[in-house]
Amino acid sequence: MEPQLSWYLALSAILFTIGVTGVIIKRNVIAMFMCIELMLNAVNLTFVAFASFFQDVTGQLFVFIVMTVAAAEAAVGLGIIIAIFRNRESLDVDDASILKL
Amino acid sequence: MLALLFILFSGLAIGCALAVVAQRNPLYSAISLVGVFISLACLYVMLAAPFIAAVQVIVYAGAIMVLVVFVIMLLNVEEEQRRRTRLRFLVPVAIVLSAILIAEVAFILVTVQEFRVSPTANTSGVGLTHSIGTQLFTRYLLPFEITSILLLMAIVGAMTLARRGGLLSPTARVIPGSQLFPRSLVDPNAAPDDLRAVETESSEEAARLLGITDFRKRE
Repeated sequence: MEPQLSWYLALSAILFTIGVTGVIIKRNVIAMFMCIELMLNAVNLTFVAFASFFQDVTGQLFVFIVMTVAAAEAAVGLGIIIAIFRNRESLDVDDASILKL
Repeated sequence: MLALLFILFSGLAIGCALAVVAQRNPLYSAISLVGVFISLACLYVMLAAPFIAAVQVIVYAGAIMVLVVFVIMLLNVEEEQRRRTRLRFLVPVAIVLSAILIAEVAFILVTVQEFRVSPTANTSGVGLTHSIGTQLFTRYLLPFEITSILLLMAIVGAMTLARRGGLLSPTARVIPGSQLFPRSLVDPNAAPDDLRAVETESSEEAARLLGITDFRKRE
């Protein structure tokens, strides 16, 4: 039995939901950041599954661009995390809740 | 055979993703996230996308996760403490709502099975490096160039953020939380006209000098 398109979509939905749950329940900035990466990967899986089942290369190109955005986000996000840690000496999001460094 | 491989890799991905959320130590979360990336790369190979699979391993599991692990090591992150659960009465509500959501998703999955997309034989070379490169540099040249501008902005932004002193001039150096008090305010034995300053290096030291114990909670 061949894997169907819906199997991949279900797996992607499960991974995305786990990522959303992590962003909601985690308190550590770096752990929340990793859960966002998990959500991006779930969307990438959807793109690649559709590209493969419809024989269209466009989906894979957008996966490529999503990966670039993720790399840029990692660089800027980790810079922000280091700046917050330098000012507040903590990585807990509850300690940085007043939108001011 | 392919179904068995799919079940193996998807189970690995879901298990590692659950471990990412469940671990309290961020370093263990990062290692589990590498497991998710590797199993997703295996699924990409099954979907006839070898180039994306290679880029997934190199960029995600290689570059991005090394950056994250480097920051975790640099900042010496401690484990999360277990917190008291607030709003305990919402737990049964959450269970009922998620059961309804799972039922809806299962219903949609069962219904949509009638719309079958049959995987055709991969004859067009979709997913190989040649087809991706051809499309990327002809039809999708504009998104490619926009991506390069985005990367340039990320470089400049990361350097600006991570530089010591932040957005101020490079010569200004601010010690966050540092305070300056006259000696007569801190030391009761000092003469009232003693105006020599008392300097502290950190917020904790200033709090100890002033006799404040819970200054973190007040923020």
